[in-house]
Amino acid sequence: MSEEQSFELFVTPELENSSLVVAWDQDAGRVGPKVADYLNEDLESEEFAEIKPESFFSLSGVSVEDDIAQFPESKFYWCRGKNLVVFKSAIPRCDWYEFLNLVLDIAEKYCKVKEIYTVGGMVSPGAHTTPRMLLSVANSAEVKQMLKHYDLISDMNYESPNGQRPTLSSFLLWAARRRNIDGVSLWVPVPFYLLTSEDPLACKKVTEFFDKRFDLNIDFAGIDDEISRQHMEISRLRSQVPELDSYMSKLESNLGLTVDESEKLVKELEEWLRGGH
Amino acid sequence: MALRLYEEPKLDNTVLIACWPGIGNIGIMAVDILRKAVGAEELGEIEPWDFFYPQKVLVRDGELEDLQFPSNKFYFKKTEEKDLMFFIGEEQPTDGTRTYAEGTKAYKMANLVLDMALKFGCRKVYTSGAAVAPIHHTTRSRVWVVPNSEDLMDEVKSYQNTVLMSDIEGRGGQGKITGLNGLLLGVAKRRGLEAVCVMGEIPIYIHNFPITYPKGSKSVLEVLSTALGIEVPMDEINALVQQSERDIESVYERLPSEIKEQLDKLKYVAYTRPSEPGPITEEDKKKILQEIDRLFKKEPGGD
Repeated sequence: MSEEQSFELFVTPELENSSLVVAWDQDAGRVGPKVADYLNEDLESEEFAEIKPESFFSLSGVSVEDDIAQFPESKFYWCRGKNLVVFKSAIPRCDWYEFLNLVLDIAEKYCKVKEIYTVGGMVSPGAHTTPRMLLSVANSAEVKQMLKHYDLISDMNYESPNGQRPTLSSFLLWAARRRNIDGVSLWVPVPFYLLTSEDPLACKKVTEFFDKRFDLNIDFAGIDDEISRQHMEISRLRSQVPELDSYMSKLESNLGLTVDESEKLVKELEEWLRGGH
Repeated sequence: MALRLYEEPKLDNTVLIACWPGIGNIGIMAVDILRKAVGAEELGEIEPWDFFYPQKVLVRDGELEDLQFPSNKFYFKKTEEKDLMFFIGEEQPTDGTRTYAEGTKAYKMANLVLDMALKFGCRKVYTSGAAVAPIHHTTRSRVWVVPNSEDLMDEVKSYQNTVLMSDIEGRGGQGKITGLNGLLLGVAKRRGLEAVCVMGEIPIYIHNFPITYPKGSKSVLEVLSTALGIEVPMDEINALVQQSERDIESVYERLPSEIKEQLDKLKYVAYTRPSEPGPITEEDKKKILQEIDRLFKKEPGGD
């Protein structure tokens, strides 16, 4: 399939040596899509291109999430004056390498991208009140060196277990390296009981990094409100259900929970947050 | 999409033996043992990233060290009569939802394998897989053979312990070989190459389990050994067969007696022609197969 057939360009953005932030819709605590939304809203980004879904997604029907029919989207946004591009996409179902190369083609050709950042949440056994750290994986020693002055945990060792496939972000980082484009994967821990909900504290940690890195002057009031609201809701649950409070207290003391305790916490917290208490 | 060569040996009168994983890993186990038995050397590979999602990531000290993909390697062995080329794919390229390759990617991979084969003077291709059959695990697996040309019929009929599709009752010589082990036969035909697929039988009640079935592999290995005129030591496969028999038997013994009784009748089922008069009647046989079908809701077939 030719490049022209695979995507639509609505506007040619005015960018030079820009940076690309990549977020996948299916993410722990919705960190990726929420960070992309914060950036796009705060910086008043404009959509300028879209990868067409037919080559990369199963279009045999639609999925329904939280009662709403969904449709896969892969959209590029640019922030005028900030030299920043945001790519927010569903995870393709097939032809991953072709898809990632198309992302890189658009990034290079129309955005003159010099560096790429992927955003993702990772499962944590910790509590939601625990201060978050930000982990980074670079695709070259030079990029790692470049980011050493930021508040990042940048000495991670990891080997994916047998049977567990690498993330698409790792695949993108690898594909970027093949083109000599610098790339970094940013990972923020998300408490296991917020995986299917949202984790605004984790989102703030990532957004703060971008704010410093790109000098964005982000207004964090909206994120701070979300964090306060969520913490208040969880506090109300803790005061009403002492058993769950004891579980969270254990986590806050760095103690583990049994499988049954963990499952109960996940189930009841999800129901509580979904009920909008 | 590219082929990468590690070296360029001069090969002549080359035979390609190609295989991808399938049911019970019957074909790939046989081909891999054959490859090791002849001491084949690495020849090259198909670059995997266009076809596969990576299998593993390695991060060291905060840097992406490596991303590992399923391997797709070629091997070669020069011999006096004919040179051998092997292709072993660690996975079948799929769209992420199916087990077996199909569509554009499968066709591209099949063509790349044959590009390499033709580059090294290939004359004939063998592929291998599994044939799901109403047999018992204590019986010797036979090998279903499917050539891609009428000219090969005499050759395949000469192999011991084999059956043709037309030998299988009710099939009328028809059937389907799913995935690349089958597709390669068709693509070879299109490109003017003779090809044969040899499929070792696996019992219908085992084929859905995520286990290997070395007994089927052994039968395939015997056929390939004859077809290629190579003597292959059977020690390794015999050991695997014995271990697998012990594992299957230990599960089998724990099955409810009524199911075991039905399955035991498969020891006496003859589903191919010509068949000797057996200890059970045609009516019995029909009932057993219906019962098995009801139990497992599966039709016999090849992969």
